[in-house]
Amino acid sequence: MRFIVLRRKTIPRYHTWISTAISLILGILVYLFITILVGRSPLEVLVNIARSFISPSIVKDFFVLIAMGCALLISFKAALWNIGGEGQFYIATIPGILLTLFIFNPRHNPAPAPLVILLVALTGTIMGAFWAFIAALFRAYLKIDEVPVTLILNYVAYYILNYLIFGPFKGRYVYGYLRTDEIPEIYRLNVRVHLPMRGDPLQVALQNLTVQLAYYIALLVLAVLIYVFTWWFFKHCRIGLYTKIHGSNPSYLQAVGVSVNHIILLTMTISGALIGLTGSIYLLSELGRIPYEIERQTAGYGYLAILVSWLSLLDLKMIPFSAYIVSALRNAGIALQVAGLGGVEQSLLLIGAILLTYSITRFLVEYEVRFEW
Amino acid sequence: MSSKVLSTSANISSAESVENVILSARNISKSFPGPVIALDRVSLDLYAGEILALLGENGSGKSTFVKILYGIYTPDHGEILMKTGRILERVTINSPADAMSKGILMVSQVPQLISKLTVAENMALTLTSLRIHGVKSLTSIKKILKIISEESEKIGIKIDPNEKVYNLTYTQKQLVEILRAMIVNAKILLLDEALTYLPLLERRKLYQALLKLKEQGGSIVIITHKISEAMEISNRIAVLRAGKIVGVVNTWETTIDQVRVMMFGEERSKQISYVKVQTINPRGEPRIIIRNLHVEDDYGREIVRGVNLTIHAGEVVGIAGISGNGQRELLESIVGLRKIKSGDIYVDNVNVKRSGVKNIRELGVSFIPDRLLEHGISPEESIVENIAACTVRNGINIPWGLIEEISRELINSYQIIAPSTKTPVKYLSGGNILKTIVAREIENAKKALIACNPTRTLDEVSAIYVRRRIREKAVNENLAVLIASEDLDEVLMVSDIIYVMNTGRLYGPLTPEAPCEDIEKLMVM
Amino acid sequence: MVIETTIILRLTAAFTTMYLVALGHSIFEKSGILNLAIDGVFFLSTGVTTAVVVPLTWLLTARGLSLVLSTTLAALTAGLATAIIGIFMAWTLTKLPISHGAVGLSLMFLGYGLGIIAGYEVRLRVGSIRPYTYPDSLGIYLAILAITVLIGLLTYFFIFKTALGTAIRACGENPHVALALGASVLKTRLIAGLLGFFIMGVGASFFVLLWQKYWDIKTYLLGYGWLAFTIALAAGRHPIVLIPLAFMFGGLVEFSITLQARLGLQADLAKMLPFIAALILMIIYGSTKLRRIFEPPGSLGKVFYKEERTI
Repeated sequence: MRFIVLRRKTIPRYHTWISTAISLILGILVYLFITILVGRSPLEVLVNIARSFISPSIVKDFFVLIAMGCALLISFKAALWNIGGEGQFYIATIPGILLTLFIFNPRHNPAPAPLVILLVALTGTIMGAFWAFIAALFRAYLKIDEVPVTLILNYVAYYILNYLIFGPFKGRYVYGYLRTDEIPEIYRLNVRVHLPMRGDPLQVALQNLTVQLAYYIALLVLAVLIYVFTWWFFKHCRIGLYTKIHGSNPSYLQAVGVSVNHIILLTMTISGALIGLTGSIYLLSELGRIPYEIERQTAGYGYLAILVSWLSLLDLKMIPFSAYIVSALRNAGIALQVAGLGGVEQSLLLIGAILLTYSITRFLVEYEVRFEW
Repeated sequence: MSSKVLSTSANISSAESVENVILSARNISKSFPGPVIALDRVSLDLYAGEILALLGENGSGKSTFVKILYGIYTPDHGEILMKTGRILERVTINSPADAMSKGILMVSQVPQLISKLTVAENMALTLTSLRIHGVKSLTSIKKILKIISEESEKIGIKIDPNEKVYNLTYTQKQLVEILRAMIVNAKILLLDEALTYLPLLERRKLYQALLKLKEQGGSIVIITHKISEAMEISNRIAVLRAGKIVGVVNTWETTIDQVRVMMFGEERSKQISYVKVQTINPRGEPRIIIRNLHVEDDYGREIVRGVNLTIHAGEVVGIAGISGNGQRELLESIVGLRKIKSGDIYVDNVNVKRSGVKNIRELGVSFIPDRLLEHGISPEESIVENIAACTVRNGINIPWGLIEEISRELINSYQIIAPSTKTPVKYLSGGNILKTIVAREIENAKKALIACNPTRTLDEVSAIYVRRRIREKAVNENLAVLIASEDLDEVLMVSDIIYVMNTGRLYGPLTPEAPCEDIEKLMVM
Repeated sequence: MVIETTIILRLTAAFTTMYLVALGHSIFEKSGILNLAIDGVFFLSTGVTTAVVVPLTWLLTARGLSLVLSTTLAALTAGLATAIIGIFMAWTLTKLPISHGAVGLSLMFLGYGLGIIAGYEVRLRVGSIRPYTYPDSLGIYLAILAITVLIGLLTYFFIFKTALGTAIRACGENPHVALALGASVLKTRLIAGLLGFFIMGVGASFFVLLWQKYWDIKTYLLGYGWLAFTIALAAGRHPIVLIPLAFMFGGLVEFSITLQARLGLQADLAKMLPFIAALILMIIYGSTKLRRIFEPPGSLGKVFYKEERTI
């Protein structure tokens, strides 16, 4: 038997959707298969996955992943594989900690909260941008693949943060834990709504959702802002067009007189800036403090966002959709605790399985397979 | 056309003709993404001991056909039969290795050799695949070196098997390919424009080798778009037009005019005049001045060696020459795409040697590149986006309305076939991609146009339109034009002044009225 | 003297691990496939090693066979497990027109996930894996070192002096031309995948069995695969040039642990050292003539589609 791959003459409508759906289903099947191997009932796994799709507890992940998914989309469109989201995310929390707990600590140096929050966002953006910029320098001027560099920079960011928490950032009111102090309430971005949580299950769920939405309102605003920015960037901005062309054929940029290196630097920096912004807002609306050995406790958004961006087929319209799926799957994974594992360990398998089936089946959008006997 | 000259393989089924057939392709079809069907039910027989010329315009499907025979493309429909013993049997050719094991070998216009490896290392791949002289996977390169030395001695092609391929000239590389064909003892040799760009003298030398192969009962298919080349050496000529075989004739029974009608059709062949596009042409001020230019190629070897050239406003300067003699690098360095080792380039008296592409383009210089898919277009993006990238230089937002208008104009005037301006360029046919690039660059040119093979994959009618537009722009808008082309006819047709480029140096100037032989001599000396 | 022996043992183990992983990776990338799965595959191998070596040791020592046999068999098993991934990668990336980066990264995550699942339970059961690793014997270590260097030399001859090795390089430079010359790109890359990933897997298993004698599900956070990646890059994927670089980096990782212990350098700064060194090595490689000398294969990471159309 012969197996021939040929480029499609025409691309059927809805084909990208079908292909994404197929890859998702296949990915979940691979994941199911592995969990069955370690002795879990497939029914239980499926029920858990289904339940997490309608759980209000995914709103936080959903907003963060839309923001980060868009940020990575910008670099992925340029075929710059920014796998350094983790590092850019956490390095951006450093100025936030410094500003809220040290420089403008309300105990000894109070400052207007909106100003401090703005400063945190601004410095976080700059830090994230800077971290991505380093990788961009390697790629642009040393011609070294950005994947290993951004990954290595993730490690460096983790260790820098750990060093700071172990030393200068070590908290004083931590009940013996090794972590930073809690960021003062006046700098936090949460809106607390108290609802009775009564009524039929649907009403309770809606009330629950409202509470969650209010609590993470800052992340919601952030996701919308970044989404709109990304839309404008690719639709109208000249740099956005260059970014896309870089992903398709950088030599063409060179031939029309656009500096390829500048586009690499710009694209990566914008991507890192948006991630840094997300990191600093996340610090103020969710984290509140940073524990020692952050690499062992990260939610892994930097990696999950890769999944979001890829599952969207690098199509901005699909980002919210894939962010929703990924948040649901991540929550299912945590709820399941396969083999007694929780958190990132659990997500790794899921990320791997779906990314793999996705990146393989993706070729079916543009190609067809023919068998010959 | 009389039915006597036309004979497709469909009616060669009588016993006597089958006798000599060694390969028969039947109803082969193949299409690619985009609007064009590359091959439409093509049937063709190949006889033992013949040289068949497969003739057709660029884009008529010739290359697709031979790539199917060589196992690179898979046909959508149809079958291939080959002689085994006394009968024709159906075969599938899955890969070039498969084709070679059946005695089929292809030599392309671009030498299919790996530059970084030595001649022997390149040959090692073929020898291992066919187990020639017992060469296996773990056979040492040393032993293969010895085999190649002995064989090349025996065959009489002098090549140092220990030489890296990037050190060879174009002709030498093609010799290596021919040597490879001899060593594997090919029964069917497919020459896909392999000799087209070799100068006549070199070509004639290779004909001797081909005749020897033919005498031994082998068959040769010469794929070309040049009627003269087809007439030179073939016994039979098969003509492809728009993916269909339109006729098969014996070479001694036909004339160039008959073949031309087959190639282009009655109507279009009349539109094609090879008369030079005449224009009145007062020479303007010097626009581009190049002084003692030295440029290196991708491997760091000096490929442009001291070029001096002045191009005046309102004139077309043509550079003839075999590809790989430094034309591409010369042109790339003029537009700032390639670093200059030494020397100076002035555009309107501004030294642009370190200006970079951006500034040179902003001076009004346009560029039709040699490597089209690399420097000419971004395949994933649409026609409008490609045009915007090249024309919008300032501002944050792109004025899409304006770009849309420009795109439509270009599509209409150059008859680009595209579903819409929003279609990604990769879904266009090769000819239409080139038209998109050529249209954009010619119409965008303000001061100068630098072009490399501007009509390479175009059909003859479009090619003539493009050449006429270039001349019109030069004369009416006082443009300075530099065209380098592998096609000597094109250079003769379009230029006011001709230079020949050979091993990095320019020879000339000559006038278009100079004898063709003189120019060819300069190309090969 | 005891301390010196320990240093020799640890340096040998560090070198062996780093060298074999970088060597296997180099063979694979020579064939033109970008291997971003390296860190996941590294961890997967350590997980499989842990899962295999414990029951295998119980089984074999009960029959009076030596520990060295079970550890060696475990290393070879880990090699085979990763070789499956290598073959999978070679097949999908040659037969299907898909992105090398995407597949490699996915396999990296999958490798982490599978490695965790493979080793987790066994690790919980035995607590410490040390009793199931190679004994601290200079003889055994030197023997493994000798075999490692021999494998390196053989690889050199294989890649540069044989027809098949030439085919691997040809597929890395330009698979389309290699195909036209008669090579089977698929077969060649499958061999490179099998061989490369087998060596890589065996090398990574030495991380558990010879070097650290420790395994934990969080080991995937070490990122040593990326150090091997950097070494291979800077050495131009050349089996001989790799030797000094692997020695340097193995030594550096060891050195950073010693620094932490002896000088009281904060652990996180010590852990950071090898990564900073890797970045510096990249800078040296990228900004000097080394980049030209040790150029990556011409088609590394490029999608291979046989019927690609050209103008």
